[in-house]
Amino acid sequence: MNGLSLPRQLLALLAGLLLSLPLLAESRQYELGVDGLACPFCAYGIEKKLRVIDGVAQVRVDIANSLVRVTMREGATLSEARARRAVEQAGFTLRSFREAGGG
Amino acid sequence: MASVRHHTRHAAALCLLLSLSGAAQAAPITFNTALPVAEGEFVWREQLVRRRRSDGGPLDREVSVDALGSVLGYGANSRLAVFAALPYFFDRELRVTTPAGRLQRDTGGIGDLALFARYTLYKRDSKGATFRIAPLLGLEAPTGDDRDRDAVGRLPRPLQAGSGGWDVFGGVVVTWQTLQYQIDSQLLFRENGRHDGFDPGDQWRFDASLQYRAWPRELTGDTPAFLYLVLESNLSHTGRDIDDERGIGLDPNSGGTQWLLAPGLQYVTQRWILEGAVQLPAASNPHGNALEDDYLVRAGFRYNF
Repeated sequence: MNGLSLPRQLLALLAGLLLSLPLLAESRQYELGVDGLACPFCAYGIEKKLRVIDGVAQVRVDIANSLVRVTMREGATLSEARARRAVEQAGFTLRSFREAGGG
Repeated sequence: MASVRHHTRHAAALCLLLSLSGAAQAAPITFNTALPVAEGEFVWREQLVRRRRSDGGPLDREVSVDALGSVLGYGANSRLAVFAALPYFFDRELRVTTPAGRLQRDTGGIGDLALFARYTLYKRDSKGATFRIAPLLGLEAPTGDDRDRDAVGRLPRPLQAGSGGWDVFGGVVVTWQTLQYQIDSQLLFRENGRHDGFDPGDQWRFDASLQYRAWPRELTGDTPAFLYLVLESNLSHTGRDIDDERGIGLDPNSGGTQWLLAPGLQYVTQRWILEGAVQLPAASNPHGNALEDDYLVRAGFRYNF
């Protein structure tokens, strides 16, 4: 962008931001209520089981509230059935499942 | 001397059994049967154990065992977990007063391999808590050397690293865990197999563990490491040995009842746990001049693959 004037640089930056917004909005987040989670050592099992699901970008375990927040890659979705299976494989019980909104 | 040998055998058996117990939640330090494992995952525990026993009688018998207990657990599915436990004895030493003076004999090496399976029969999960009942069944294979010798001759059977016999054990583990504390308990029966005319006394155990979260005091979001204050209780009753190999028959100076208390600490992260405890005798009622525990020290780690 060295050859562009300052207004054109700002326009290009603005256009880039506008174009990226829809992509960011497609990065879905889910909030899983998980019963049985009571210590950090057990939390690792559930994190590992969710991370191997196709499209999962990030898993964060909120042990105090028994919640697991899953962020998907752009365009990827997580079904309740798949989430339930991962939670059960880790030895716990899925209490609730909801889409928490885009990132 | 014969009774010394028999009691050394008990020391080895108990040491192995204790190293066995532990895989599924934070889990106790002095037993392995409650170790948590997710489906398709492994958990690995290593624990250094130093154990001292004595009888205080005219023979002034002292038995010391320095060992490393290795346990590997695998989650076959969300309810069934299988475990393998193998002790390595750096040193198993017997010191006893004889007419010829103080005699010391020792050995070491790999001990007997124990395999067991645990099935979670009942599970009730709620927000930040879980209650589980899981029966378990296992066997111990005679993989350790039971024919080691020193300058005096073949070592007494109880001093050998291996028992030479096949043992079976089974019981039930109950776990109640919340975010603030965890209670694990196990009731276990162990039938020791007869080998070469020697039949070590069978054993009943009731173990319990309380783990209380001391830090962090308050939980916020995310998953911080926990520091648990631990108090464990180990109650055991061991039957008398039968030694037909030496023509002794039922040994009056073997077995008995013992209760140990173990304060300890656990530092628990998502991936690993550091833990340590000291087991001290609270009460005992040995048969005759059977050996009694002076103390056990345990320190080790657990790792989630």
